[in-house]
Amino acid sequence: MNVTSIREQFPLIRAKPKLAYFDNAATSQKHESVIQAMDIFYRSQNAPVHRSVYKLAEGATEAYENVRNHVREFLNAKHREEIIFTAGTTASINTVVSGLAEGFRKGDRILLTDMEHHSMIVPWQAAAARKGLRMDFAPLTHDGRLDMPAFKTLLAKRPKFVGITHVSNVLGTVNPVRAIVRLAHRIGAVVLVDATQAAAHMPLDVRKLDCDFLVFSGHKVYGPNGVGVLYGKRELLKQLPPFIYGGHMIERVGREGAIYAEPPAKFEGGTPPVPEVVGLGAALTFLQKLGWKSIRKHEHKLTTYALTALQSVSGLILLGPTQTKGRAPIFSFALPGVHPHDGSALLDREGIAVRGGHHCTQILHESYTLSGSMRVSLGIYNTKEEIDRLVVALAKVRTKLYG
Amino acid sequence: MDRDIYQEEILEHYRHPRNFGAIKKPTYSSSAENPLCGDSIVLELRIKRNKVDDVGFTGSGCALSTASASLFTEWMRGKTLAQLRKAKPSQLFHLIEIPITPVRHQCVLLPLKSLQRALGP
Ligand SMILES: Cc1ncc(COP(=O)(O)O)c(C=O)c1O
Repeated sequence: MNVTSIREQFPLIRAKPKLAYFDNAATSQKHESVIQAMDIFYRSQNAPVHRSVYKLAEGATEAYENVRNHVREFLNAKHREEIIFTAGTTASINTVVSGLAEGFRKGDRILLTDMEHHSMIVPWQAAAARKGLRMDFAPLTHDGRLDMPAFKTLLAKRPKFVGITHVSNVLGTVNPVRAIVRLAHRIGAVVLVDATQAAAHMPLDVRKLDCDFLVFSGHKVYGPNGVGVLYGKRELLKQLPPFIYGGHMIERVGREGAIYAEPPAKFEGGTPPVPEVVGLGAALTFLQKLGWKSIRKHEHKLTTYALTALQSVSGLILLGPTQTKGRAPIFSFALPGVHPHDGSALLDREGIAVRGGHHCTQILHESYTLSGSMRVSLGIYNTKEEIDRLVVALAKVRTKLYG
Repeated sequence: MDRDIYQEEILEHYRHPRNFGAIKKPTYSSSAENPLCGDSIVLELRIKRNKVDDVGFTGSGCALSTASASLFTEWMRGKTLAQLRKAKPSQLFHLIEIPITPVRHQCVLLPLKSLQRALGP
């Protein structure tokens, strides 16, 4: 993979060659083809989808539905109706939680982990308060991996639902999702895999994982904001109640009530974000053309390099695994005496964009007795030279604050 | 770089915050959290004859929230309850002097949030 040429393909990166953009876990930059696809759509294809029968609208519908086929293939799902377009991961998770919770009873248990994103935790907390559900959180090992024995102990309480992030947005840990799904299915739990951080870094195969639901956002896979995916097994989606009620998600509406449409329409109430879906399709094409093999090779090299580089910074405390194996290029750390806000504001002056804060994982940070950390999350356009600059800049941060 | 938020005046308050620490027999106290980073500041006040007799804050924050708490607690000394109740965001921005980007407003305003919670509605 030629990184120089990749960098040329991202308009923002091309325009700001001196900026080391290290906040890819929050949002990635957009590939040229994504912006172009959306631009072309608005200029020459824009029309409402699904209901109008003139040619322009049929073209728009086709473009939209083609991306559904594309995502099916991207995730290796069995059926195209298993792919639902949403506004993003948060909307996808809320759809699942709200629907499943309706069928749960007081005392039913929900099993999450200490490394879940707020978008997994908070919807369940709200549902738990409404329905009297009980929530368990599987703890982590000291090096930021899921504590499997503890997870199995909690699984023995027979939760109805297991929610697990494929890759931690803070620790970079890649969870053994396939094994977890198998264990959870043995006790009959429904499993939702949060693949938001995994989607840009590794191939996803829902049939291999055998997960019941899987979600991700377009804006973290070099695609547009405002669009995400909810994959669900066909039978489960048929049973799951809708989440957003309105136009398009119905088969028939009368004064006495409505009959809902079949999935995917059942979960796509309202006018969908068609240009964004088209842009998402372009992002997936870009990733597939580049190929997982070369993406992984480049990111593997960056990960190994960053792990060594960061650990050479005096006093730096790295959260999460210290080995490249089973790790994505996401690194959070604390620098004693340097508040993450100050650290990231000072790194910004050196042309380095990192995130400082709790990254929507307050429970995780609490388990490390930290209120926040600094996070460097890499993407395919990042380079070793940028990591070198980070190491130099980190040393300057302390000098600036303490003289 | 005269508009630098990390200028010496701020950093000096960060390194050596005034009124840092718990106080004796507080009459009012409350904590507030910065949703941006999860930092919290606990503010304690002792009011005597309707005036601030002592004030202190604890907790850990970034340079901006610490400097803001340091400056704001200095300002609070000797003020009346009525004056404290009237304190507005502009007061803190005035004390900090330098222009603050919107994302970090919350850092500067954290001590005010604590004060408002302490005094109640
Ligand atoms: C692991 C994980 N889950 C969920 C989300 C939420 O995604 P979004 O904000 O796109 O809905 C994020 C990112 O913020 C994430 O990193």
